[in-house]
Amino acid sequence: MKTQQKNRRCKDIKRWLYTALSKQIGPDAGWVQQHIASCPKCRSRLLWASRVGVALQLIKSQPHSLDLLAQANQKAVSVLKHSLRYSDKAQKLKAAMPQPTIFERLRKYRSAAANLAACVTILLLMKAGMFSSTRKFQNDGNNALRHYYTNYVGDEIADEIFPS
Amino acid sequence: MAGQVNIAGLSWDITIPEVLSGTQRWVLSAMQKHGPELVTMLWRILANEQDVCDAYQDTFLKLAHYESGQKPQYVRAYVFRTAANTALSMLRHKIIERKRVQTLQMQSTTDTANDLNSGLLQQNLRSCIARLPKNLREVVTFHDLAELPYRQVARILDITPATARVYRCKAVRLLAVWMNKSENEI
Repeated sequence: MKTQQKNRRCKDIKRWLYTALSKQIGPDAGWVQQHIASCPKCRSRLLWASRVGVALQLIKSQPHSLDLLAQANQKAVSVLKHSLRYSDKAQKLKAAMPQPTIFERLRKYRSAAANLAACVTILLLMKAGMFSSTRKFQNDGNNALRHYYTNYVGDEIADEIFPS
Repeated sequence: MAGQVNIAGLSWDITIPEVLSGTQRWVLSAMQKHGPELVTMLWRILANEQDVCDAYQDTFLKLAHYESGQKPQYVRAYVFRTAANTALSMLRHKIIERKRVQTLQMQSTTDTANDLNSGLLQQNLRSCIARLPKNLREVVTFHDLAELPYRQVARILDITPATARVYRCKAVRLLAVWMNKSENEI
């Protein structure tokens, strides 16, 4: 049990370390950006590396036809031995369509889930009395400022700025 | 691999692996389990549906005939590596053919458009990936084209995830230099 906890803590610390380090030495770190702005060699290196990234993204974004998996399965099944070729599983594979992953399936509920989470948060804040506390702080602040103005510039101007 | 046998006056077609390895249903299971990911990876390497089907067929044919129909110890690694190798050798043939055609075209027309052409950029990247050393190429293919996490890439290639990260970094550096060179040549 203790070993598991230790391992989990180790993993957490490793993740935090990576995050902290990537902020310090990643391409978005301030000192890296400053150097790139003044060094033409590094600028061109960054440009070349970005071009590889863009090309990879372009390749990934190219869609293929929906029935490509079925076509490929049909072709592959046709060269397998007779008993496999005519099995039920093979027939299903011949008509297989690409299935979206669970994350892709849940993506359509993302905005609804965000709205729900926001509503729940607001309800919890109301329940915790956060809004009444905020209003109280605001009134206290206004009173303090009014008091300050009354002391230094007089009641009339203070009343104009902070009408009761 | 196929042979004809005469039993009770009738001729029967049999294949040798069928006799040796029983039902081989695991081939279909592998196809069902890894097929979608393989098709995506092959499409990203080859960008041609006919070629994808050919490479896919070749992969499963090799799997079915692996060591006289025996099931490999780690099927996922076997199919991914075989598919990537098959696709890359097909890609190399295509690149050679394309270069030959381009030289012929260059003699007749002089097109010097040097702006960011997405088709050209993808083509350029594919040819540069095909030129990479095997260890770097496999990491880029599995991590960037098949979108497998480093842990799985490492398992398929029998290396550590840290090594896979280092290889990927080296590969991107090489690709960047080569792509820039080849674009300047154009």
